[in-house]
Amino acid sequence: MNEELDSQLSAMFDDELAPGECELLARRLSRDEQLKARWGRYAVVGAAIRSERGVRLNAPLAGLVSAVILAEPALAAAHGARRTGVRWWQPVAAAAVAAGVAAVSVLWLRAQAPLAGAPLSAHLTAPTATVPGAAVVPAAAAGAPDSYVVPRAPAARAMAVPSIELANYVVAHSVFSSPVTRRNLLSAFMTGESGTAAEEPRDDAQGNVQ
Amino acid sequence: MLRAMCSSERFVALTLAWAVAGAALAEDTSLGRAPPTQWLERMNQALTTRNYDGTFSHWHGGHVEMLRIIHRVQDGTVSERLASLDGSGREFIRTGASLTCYLPDQRTVLVEQRPPDESLVGFPALNDQTASSYDIREVSRTRLNRRNTHVITVSPKDEYRYGYRLWIDDSTAMPLKTQLCDTRGHVIEQIVFASLTLSAHIPDSAFKPEVSTVGFKWLRNESAPPALAAATQAWNAMRLPPGFRIAARSAQTLPGSTDPVDHLVFTDGLASVSVFVEAQRREQADQPSVPESATVGSSSAFSTVIDGHKITAVGEVPPDTVRFIANQLKAQEPPSVGSRRP
Amino acid sequence: MSADASDLSLVRRVQRGDKGAFDALVLKYQHKLVKLVMRYVRNPAEAEDIAQEAFIKAYRALPQFRGDSAFYTWLYRIAINTAKNAVVSRDRSPIEYDLDRNNEESYDMQGRLKDSETPEGLVLTDEIRSTVNAAIDALPEDLRTAIVLRELEGLSYEEIAAAMACPVGTVRSRIFRAREAIDRRLREVFEGGLGRAEELG
Repeated sequence: MNEELDSQLSAMFDDELAPGECELLARRLSRDEQLKARWGRYAVVGAAIRSERGVRLNAPLAGLVSAVILAEPALAAAHGARRTGVRWWQPVAAAAVAAGVAAVSVLWLRAQAPLAGAPLSAHLTAPTATVPGAAVVPAAAAGAPDSYVVPRAPAARAMAVPSIELANYVVAHSVFSSPVTRRNLLSAFMTGESGTAAEEPRDDAQGNVQ
Repeated sequence: MLRAMCSSERFVALTLAWAVAGAALAEDTSLGRAPPTQWLERMNQALTTRNYDGTFSHWHGGHVEMLRIIHRVQDGTVSERLASLDGSGREFIRTGASLTCYLPDQRTVLVEQRPPDESLVGFPALNDQTASSYDIREVSRTRLNRRNTHVITVSPKDEYRYGYRLWIDDSTAMPLKTQLCDTRGHVIEQIVFASLTLSAHIPDSAFKPEVSTVGFKWLRNESAPPALAAATQAWNAMRLPPGFRIAARSAQTLPGSTDPVDHLVFTDGLASVSVFVEAQRREQADQPSVPESATVGSSSAFSTVIDGHKITAVGEVPPDTVRFIANQLKAQEPPSVGSRRP
Repeated sequence: MSADASDLSLVRRVQRGDKGAFDALVLKYQHKLVKLVMRYVRNPAEAEDIAQEAFIKAYRALPQFRGDSAFYTWLYRIAINTAKNAVVSRDRSPIEYDLDRNNEESYDMQGRLKDSETPEGLVLTDEIRSTVNAAIDALPEDLRTAIVLRELEGLSYEEIAAAMACPVGTVRSRIFRAREAIDRRLREVFEGGLGRAEELG
């Protein structure tokens, strides 16, 4: 009996349990402290195997969070509360782009013949995400007050992927920049701040207005 | 700063310049009285000679991202790593003469080998020309994140270049906050250190990329670039914006290609612009030559075709400046070989 | 098997007012989140504080979570924003000196913090890690392979089944039995007479 339950627990921990069974087990998990403790130790096992340097394996984190949450009003009641908070993520608005950048007509990528074998990057749209957090998520309804409304991940920005050729020039030039301007150039390049001034954010209709 | 000097001489010359600057500062017990240009020199020295590991935010166009920078000078070799902490996953790693750029969104790695005898210090040095192009002042001393800083403003005297506001740490001369401004003083770009450790020792492992390159395309340049003398034409800029002078000239190849590229560098002492000259490839010759512009943050790039050659200018200057310089390039015929002299 | 059914079933419970269900989400993702935050702050204790804050913010924002993305993806974004917020607005010196050569490598060869800098808890982390490692070494090979492929390589049951040439059901059973064996030893550390390790409840 218990073994079946624990086996389900193990599978659910790995996201390998059927949805119907998840519902039942979730209910038990939330109420059964022993089961919860075992679940917690499963996480510790994983973290220990991955040997993540500096990460404590016995941090009181979960307990502290639990304590804070216990003191909070129930979620359903809190839902209506308005929160003011700094909206951390800000949209790339065409108007916000520096006035000094001239409007340009042709995107860098088009007229170049590919370098020996190098693919042309023809996308105006976002590069594919390389981190889990970058899945495209639609912005919450305008006016949603909470600062942690699902922020639009960088992948949704309409930033051009710079061509390899541009990358070549930037890298070759970087050696000759002064130390402080070099950092501006390379940082902008590393964060994908390349493109033309005329671009607009993709989801303008639904975009969050600054 | 012509590269007519061999690079070791150049390195020595610049080292001496630092030593002089350093000695002068050492004598000045009241650090607050050092002239602003001296703060800029100290800052450059700190950025290029100290070991440090930090994270900073980069703001441009309403968007902020965090990056990490690690820098080390050890046994005369510079190692450096700049990595995006959000999203793009791109990394730039320099180890000695090798520059590697990881572009996960393109599944490509660029490797550029610089000439082995190229001096460590390729950056422009502040000079008399700089003073004529910029107005450099210390406007205040202020506390930034509990550090004493000197706020130095570098205001351009014309629209060909950007202005800067720098918060330079009194104790380490590291720029804790840097603003890049247009000629109206509006901030276009901002970099602020969130954390910074100045270490005596940074291990080699700190310069390994985090991105996995399985399945990536690797593009390298030739390690031995063609000799400049082999070029049949010497290119020069007919005119330059005030204050700009040629600082370096070399021939190289770019990663992924074997075609020789002339690389000219112009600088006003603070901002620099590279101009690359390449023979237009045959398959492009029939296409109309459409000038193209691009931006990399506040930096600008511009490409055009002149006399069958593709001219590309890149630099930390406004777009009009790279456009201007690129359009000024012209091939000059060298004295013809074998011509009969009267 | 929906990839996110596990998290979603817990999230839905939390949204309906079951706070205990959120504990399970915290327990599952706490180490990952701390590791993520440590890309922004190097200090582990500070990273834990930020991760804690991120979890609390996630809890409060949970009513707005609609399941359009995976829960962890959503949580991940909150953690990044919280970390960025914290580092940019922190009211302390951003500069640390590390000029003492003796101190240069904060981590010794085995990746542990030096004892002198180690709060008590980290010595325990060491013990936990070596307990887990010893337990894994003692496992029969098929169980060890299964758990390592799952936890270290992040393979799905189906991928592990392909790698080990066995049915998915066998994979599930092997991983479960591996965890059981490790847990038996781990319980002693957590529930041992001195109650040294932290856990809920």
